[in-house]
Amino acid sequence: MADSTDHQGLILQTLGLRKHFGGIQAVNGVDLAVPPGDLRAIIGPNGAGKTTLFNLLSGDLTHDTGQVYFGGEEVSGLPPHRLCRRGLGRTFQITSIFRRLTALENVQTAFLSHHRRHYNLLVPARRLYRDEALALLERVGLREQAGKPSGILAHGDQRRLELAIALAGAPRLLLLDEPTAGMAPRERHEIMALVARIAGDTGLTVVFTEHDMDVVFAVARRITVLHQGVVLAEGTPAEVRANGDVQRVYLGQPAAP
Amino acid sequence: MRPAGWLGLVVLALAVAPLALPPFFLQLLTEIAIVGLFATAFNLLMGFGGMVSFGHAAYFALGAYAPALLVKRAGVPLLLALPAAPVVAGAGALLFGFFIVRLSHTYFAMLSLAFAQIVFTVIFKWKALTGGDDGLLDVWPPPLLKSPAAYYYFTLAVVGVSVLALRAIVDSPFGYALRSVRENPRRARFIGIDVRRHQLVAFVISGAFSGLAGGLFAFYNGSVFPDFAYFTKSFEPLVVALLGGVQSFFGPLAGAFGFKILEWLVSRQWPVYWPLFLGTIVIVVIVLLPYGFVGLVGGRPWRTRPTTRG
Repeated sequence: MADSTDHQGLILQTLGLRKHFGGIQAVNGVDLAVPPGDLRAIIGPNGAGKTTLFNLLSGDLTHDTGQVYFGGEEVSGLPPHRLCRRGLGRTFQITSIFRRLTALENVQTAFLSHHRRHYNLLVPARRLYRDEALALLERVGLREQAGKPSGILAHGDQRRLELAIALAGAPRLLLLDEPTAGMAPRERHEIMALVARIAGDTGLTVVFTEHDMDVVFAVARRITVLHQGVVLAEGTPAEVRANGDVQRVYLGQPAAP
Repeated sequence: MRPAGWLGLVVLALAVAPLALPPFFLQLLTEIAIVGLFATAFNLLMGFGGMVSFGHAAYFALGAYAPALLVKRAGVPLLLALPAAPVVAGAGALLFGFFIVRLSHTYFAMLSLAFAQIVFTVIFKWKALTGGDDGLLDVWPPPLLKSPAAYYYFTLAVVGVSVLALRAIVDSPFGYALRSVRENPRRARFIGIDVRRHQLVAFVISGAFSGLAGGLFAFYNGSVFPDFAYFTKSFEPLVVALLGGVQSFFGPLAGAFGFKILEWLVSRQWPVYWPLFLGTIVIVVIVLLPYGFVGLVGGRPWRTRPTTRG
């Protein structure tokens, strides 16, 4: 395990991260150490604190105590748009896209912002980063849907679009909050295989939460198990599967559909 | 392209209008152009930024009083005084907008209204500078622009350039980002956009062009009064944009035309009943024409129906 002095080599590290809502300690002292290039699953029963942890890591929430280091620098308290500029991308458990814009415009806007053109008032945006956006849509399998308003796309395609939006920012670290929520089993494997391929190609670090254990054990390089706001176990898929605590509190239960 | 054809036809008709129409109608068209600019500037916020301001009269009034004061108190000629309209109104929008964009939805609307009432009160009470309730009279353009046809052409040119500029802004990267903020502020943050700052820039642009509309109106009217800043004036661009269609860039211009023509037709016969008539029209348009007047001609001006959040 990492200690407080070696966060230089890690892309993401948290130390003693805590967050409570009223009387509920949602995240209760989480130490997380993610090296570059990792494909890390964070699993745990409902209410284990996964989404809260994600919201703390991405600046959507501010933690009560503890520190977050991103790329070796402390980023505690930075707002989301600043973190995004430093190379953090994320998707949400509930699909979050620009519904009245076309799929192409969704990704184009992300490219425009990434290249810091978003205060440009003078040039027409229609052709800017169009090819890049189309190539990215192709990559996630949405090339044919590019001209459609994103709000009418099928649910799975909206999830893919959100992934493309996040990737347009060329993140170093991608946080995916249940990227396959609401998808059919086959599509789940497809999209996570795609994420793994992209991560492998670009050296991108991915941290994701997921309820489908088949997907988790097929894709993740390492797994962190959260339980009641603390890290219960961490290790390779094989280590986690063999861990007695994990079996008792989580894997022993029937897996969520 | 269809919209381009419509646009050409409209421009041609406006250009030859002074040959065919008596001065009264030129004045009506001048007023339509000014209200159209005001509503188009307003709709940059409402239609493209998802921000409903109930206080845009503040920037209209700042834009009316700034050049009027320069002409009256300092003897500056119109062409030099008019640029003060967007500058002063934009500065006001920057000052008030800094606080207003910190809120959303109803609170955004109410705070914008509150600041507008402050502007109204200051204008109303500061008699030494603004003339208070008596307003500022004899704010006329120079002789060259004084005839209805000359001021009509002048207004048309200023409004035309302004509308083209606003159109370019809507189509620019800034405009794309503004739409993303309207659609989903949280997602916009996670593509790196500083949402409040983006909203503030849009607010200042909108306020500046609203101020320019106010400046044009001051010289058209020949006088300025405190009620330019009163809240009833704030609802004018809102109603005009709703009638014309907030989903479309040219909706507010169409709305200004429909609004002023109807107002003229109805008020001429039954001046007392205009508000009743207007209320009925607004209800009919909201219920039957969700895209406003432009929905009648342009098919679907936006690419899709507004979708419900899911």
